[in-house]
Amino acid sequence: MLFLLTTRELKLKYQDTMLGFVWSVIKPLLLGLVLYVILSHVAKIQTDIPYQLVLLPALFPWSWFQTSALMATPAIANNGNLIKKVHFPRYVLPFATVANNMVHFLLTIPIIMIIVLVSGFRPNYTWLIGIPLLTLVELVLLLGTVLIVSAIDVYFRDLEHLLDVFLNLAFYMTPIIYPISALGRYRNVALINPMASLIEAWRNLFARNELPTPVDLWPCIVFAVAAVLIGSFVFGRLEKGFADVL
Amino acid sequence: MFSDGTAISLEGISKRYYLRSQRPTDLKTTVLHLPSFLWRDSNRKAFWALDDVSFTVQRGESIGIVGPNGSGKSTLLKIMADLARPTCGKINVNGRISALLELGAGFHPQITGRENAILNAVLLGLTRREAGQVLPDIIAFSELGDFIDEPMRTYSSGMYIRLGFSVAVHVHADVLLVDEVLAVGDAEFQQKCFDHIEKLRAKGVTIVLVSHDLGSVTRFCERAVLLHHGQVQVEGASQPVVHEYLSRIAAVLGHAVSS
Repeated sequence: MLFLLTTRELKLKYQDTMLGFVWSVIKPLLLGLVLYVILSHVAKIQTDIPYQLVLLPALFPWSWFQTSALMATPAIANNGNLIKKVHFPRYVLPFATVANNMVHFLLTIPIIMIIVLVSGFRPNYTWLIGIPLLTLVELVLLLGTVLIVSAIDVYFRDLEHLLDVFLNLAFYMTPIIYPISALGRYRNVALINPMASLIEAWRNLFARNELPTPVDLWPCIVFAVAAVLIGSFVFGRLEKGFADVL
Repeated sequence: MFSDGTAISLEGISKRYYLRSQRPTDLKTTVLHLPSFLWRDSNRKAFWALDDVSFTVQRGESIGIVGPNGSGKSTLLKIMADLARPTCGKINVNGRISALLELGAGFHPQITGRENAILNAVLLGLTRREAGQVLPDIIAFSELGDFIDEPMRTYSSGMYIRLGFSVAVHVHADVLLVDEVLAVGDAEFQQKCFDHIEKLRAKGVTIVLVSHDLGSVTRFCERAVLLHHGQVQVEGASQPVVHEYLSRIAAVLGHAVSS
């Protein structure tokens, strides 16, 4: 069911467009290019590795998170008719959104690879272990998160707008356009943010061929597991009333 | 599980809704009403859509539910289909349920009829493999021919309904809940739907039919339940129940005329 809903979403997204799936690659690339030009050549940020390797390996995994969270939040609330008329596991709706965006994210990995190669760096075997591992961690974190927010959004639709603002803020609080080392002694404060350690791990993998250690990733893993546990509980509680409220 | 031959049993089912106007929707009223909201103050206006409804449906039986608008028929079907939970009471359902509450709910206009049929069948409880197996039957029954591979936005509403009905009756349900959906489609397709439901009934499928078409209730169902204000008024063989319903309508109309 999840597979069918996800492929439906994928088909729908670029239906009747000329470039179709190419858009999944072009859009994040253009966003990356804009940020790159402004931050590297206008604001002249100095980093130890070429700036494109700071930015892109962090930006694409972040986009997966942000877009999924934003799109999945109203996934239940906007499907009132389906919820009221057909009996099926409700969590598949937000999950399909996450899965759909995961496919888009995976399509951007070849771009990262090309940028890394063009910058004169060489990917090695660490990618084969690191990409599935970090994808899994981010997936679990996302599934837990969307369980919580999509269920609450049914009762409190302001959440969509609140989350929109919050995620824009989080974009700057997470080390995406700058490396975490730039924070100096505030580094440990920033690591409370579960996405900070994850994004840093993605960057170290793509730009430095470094695999994350459990120590690096623990804030994210703790959050991910907690989100899934809390999410299952909250969703299970709230879904009883979905059909009544919608 | 099926030893007692009961398909659905309802014991003291009640369903309470709070009226929308009483629910705080904006910040100011939320803050002002916070105390009562938190303490579940009984100031909120409740509406009992169902009030202590009890009856059982035997396996293989067809039962009609009749009553005026707003008497709780659809709420009752929703509870049977596990789409809504009763506020109190106990419900037991044996076997797989297929609910025809609205034909084609969940169809997406941008993808083809074939894709929608598979997705809908899976949503209704089939596995992907099972859905693939019944797909030829679904397409044949809908008589959509080559249109099955066209996006559904190009369908007429009649075609939409045909596909919706075809999917719903092909998911191998043990209990079929039908809400007023037979009054659609042209006369020929309607007859075909009735014939198909008749066939399912012969196979031992339990059928719960909600309808204002009292003729089809007496024709189809051995038993009927008359609901009014969320309560079971009369229950029994369909002929006398429908008769009772009609005489009540007549009484209300007669009263209105005389006063």
